[in-house]
Amino acid sequence: MNNGIAGTSLRINLTIGEIERIESDEEVYRRWHGGRGVIAKILYDEVPRDADPFGPENIFIVNVGIMSGCFIPAGSKVEFGSVSPLTNGHGDSNMGGHLGPMLKFAGYDMIIFTGISPKPVYLYIDNDTIELRDASRYWGMGSLDCEKQLKKDLGEDFEIATIGPAGENGVLFSCITHDFGRQAGRTGQGAVMGSKKLKAIAVRGNRSIGVYDLESLKKQVMEIILRTKTHPNMEPWQKYGTSFFIKWSNDNAVLPAYNFQTTYFNDVGKIDGDQLVEQCLISHKACFGCWMNCGKYTKAVIPGKPIVHLEGPEYETIALCGSNLGMKDINHVAYINWMLDNLGMDTMSGGGVIAFAMECFERGLITEKDLEGHTLRWGSVDDVEHLLDMVARRRGIGEWFAGGSKRASEKIGGGSEKFAMHVKGQEMSGYDGRWSPGMLLSYMTADIGAHHNRSWTITVDIAEGRESVEGRAKIVVYLQHIRPLFDTWCICRLFWGEVDVTPEEIVESLNHITGWGVTVDEALRTSEMIWNLTRCHYIERNRDNGRAFDYPPSRSWEDKIPSGPGKGKGVTRDQIEQMLDEYYAARGWDKNGNPTREVLEDLGLVFAADNLEKLGFLGKPIPGGIPPVRGEKYKPKAF
Amino acid sequence: MRIKINRDMCTGCRLCLQICAIEHFSEINPKKAALRIEAKFPDPGKYWPFVCTQCGKCAEVCPEDAINQNEIGAYIVDKERCTNCGECVAVCPVGVVFQHSDLEHVIICDFCMRCTEVCNTGAIVKWEKTAAAKEKEA
Amino acid sequence: MVIYLKAGSELRHRLKPDIDYYTRRIKTDAGKTIKEVLIDLGINPALVAFVYTEGKVKSLDFIPSSGQSITLQPPVSGG
Repeated sequence: MNNGIAGTSLRINLTIGEIERIESDEEVYRRWHGGRGVIAKILYDEVPRDADPFGPENIFIVNVGIMSGCFIPAGSKVEFGSVSPLTNGHGDSNMGGHLGPMLKFAGYDMIIFTGISPKPVYLYIDNDTIELRDASRYWGMGSLDCEKQLKKDLGEDFEIATIGPAGENGVLFSCITHDFGRQAGRTGQGAVMGSKKLKAIAVRGNRSIGVYDLESLKKQVMEIILRTKTHPNMEPWQKYGTSFFIKWSNDNAVLPAYNFQTTYFNDVGKIDGDQLVEQCLISHKACFGCWMNCGKYTKAVIPGKPIVHLEGPEYETIALCGSNLGMKDINHVAYINWMLDNLGMDTMSGGGVIAFAMECFERGLITEKDLEGHTLRWGSVDDVEHLLDMVARRRGIGEWFAGGSKRASEKIGGGSEKFAMHVKGQEMSGYDGRWSPGMLLSYMTADIGAHHNRSWTITVDIAEGRESVEGRAKIVVYLQHIRPLFDTWCICRLFWGEVDVTPEEIVESLNHITGWGVTVDEALRTSEMIWNLTRCHYIERNRDNGRAFDYPPSRSWEDKIPSGPGKGKGVTRDQIEQMLDEYYAARGWDKNGNPTREVLEDLGLVFAADNLEKLGFLGKPIPGGIPPVRGEKYKPKAF
Repeated sequence: MRIKINRDMCTGCRLCLQICAIEHFSEINPKKAALRIEAKFPDPGKYWPFVCTQCGKCAEVCPEDAINQNEIGAYIVDKERCTNCGECVAVCPVGVVFQHSDLEHVIICDFCMRCTEVCNTGAIVKWEKTAAAKEKEA
Repeated sequence: MVIYLKAGSELRHRLKPDIDYYTRRIKTDAGKTIKEVLIDLGINPALVAFVYTEGKVKSLDFIPSSGQSITLQPPVSGG
């Protein structure tokens, strides 16, 4: 094919060990643009609404998208998707590194896994050779250890993704690890892999990827390479990755500290980007085709503990496993990052769950007896090490925390739901929303729970007024369309906005690759279509009005920020309701948060409207009709 | 004209491999590049690029006399004469002579320098002898 | 004294570069913070998250020295 699509997809029935090669359907890609879009459609169509996420009917999908591997800057991503055991809705998570491109170089666009393997297996792909191989001697190994062993056994030039013991044991926020430190962290994709007894995917390929107009693509990409080489923003990104704005978050009172109790960490200087680079850095590490090399390969050195190597910690992990846990040493944060990586758990949910457990311990809701004689003190890397072992093995109360902070708080009670910092079951990213209402709304309305990659509004909130909710809803809607496009195209978002590569330029590259003549507007509408589909999927699975699931934990409006620059600030419950009302109106959904027939039909999703109607959750018609344009691009006020 | 490797600066982005294949084969395929990157993880945690050093062993060993050095020092493969026997692949001390299942000849770097243009970190750079050193040699 | 400010993206338009695509040569008094320099230039400091100079990230309270080249880093789009 000459449109960025490799041409072959695989359907693998793990129950009977059958591998089927099918032709990748260009029409599906044309409509859904690959990655997250194709995943959303397949999950919606094929996973029964009452299917257990850990059962044979859940489908685990690996999709490389169109642009990944095609010489485009930062064209490195691969998307994983399945019905999330953490949120019980559509789940997808992406990761950089080199696996996506390598899958394409082997000739494959997508792998769809169904069923459950009777024994642990790993998928072996070497161009045309595709085998489900016995993984019994790898089962039980850490993610990083397993990748090292597989590379030794198969060849250093294989690209490999693995799960750790946590995924094998069904910890709901388990992740998938690749390239010794890149993760598909969110929504528990590693747990779904583990439930199917799939330990790893190992790929090698030497084919070419055909594109529509290689000359124009090359010319455009070379121009972008040379232009961004000297862009002023490039150097700090290359040196620090995302770690350099830890201090900015702290100064602006959005850095979570002590389980989101407060938003200012006095010891931030001990765990910021400078400390990472000065104390821990081994080398800068890039994904395929990216010269921003935001990855930081580091070592954690703690007296009495083995020296470990890892990729990270980046912003989210420094926030959620650093200030959020009261850690005052960057080596401790790095060590926790390594533990979570090797055990195979998302560092973001991991940090959120540990922090929740620490607050429970602080309040006496769990005791040393529950923790096998250990304490769980803020800032103690040893205490964290012990807890993580209990969680990964689901031992004792580790079992409770293995379900994420939502399920743990339901077991523990004692008012702990208030400070289980999740939405829809997935823990918050490393930004506190109390003095950043757009960010809080972003968490509340993201389809996969409290994750920031759908919409991030802190700069908007600072510029527009942090105590006002005016106009936030429309901006969040716009961001929720543009940001997931990167997960659909399988390229990295860090290039957009950070070094002046515009959506128009990215769409131009897409057209050089595919020849489809896509416009930015069409791409945004496709993204809106995907967004509405995953919303319908969520409502259908959870059988309640959408609004019922869109609330943050009550700390968000009951506890004003107690210290730091944000002291005394916080949103009110009324503001939360107001934001939701405006958000649904902006989306063409009704007051219950349910998509209406008008908006679904406008997006070509008649079947979804019919399904919602059958269940009784189709949105009631809005007086005045749906807005013709949903979402509004943020334009900074003139100064 | 030579290529100098500053090994510790490589980040593994593989842009060099991509541009090399695009330049020489009009294809996106890192396995058709004339250089390679070794990933050394978890220990020491670095990427090592390997590029032709113009040692000439490939030309010495070629039974068909298909490899000859040109005026800029690059060892050029005569695609008609090359029988793809692989002797040069085996003898290259740096492991930068490549074969590919699509091709009937080997791949050796022709020093077009595109890789040095895309490398953003200075891991792969153009290197020429200074005027003084050239004079000394003459 | 003279310093050099560099910026990309939105900030670049407000900076009005004159030396090259990204850079503007500024005459300012010694002892002023970057924040004060920005205000003098009519650029709202809220548009600048922090500055980057000589390989290090600094806050807007940073006081530049003569001849220093300083990159103005806008607030990021999130990690």
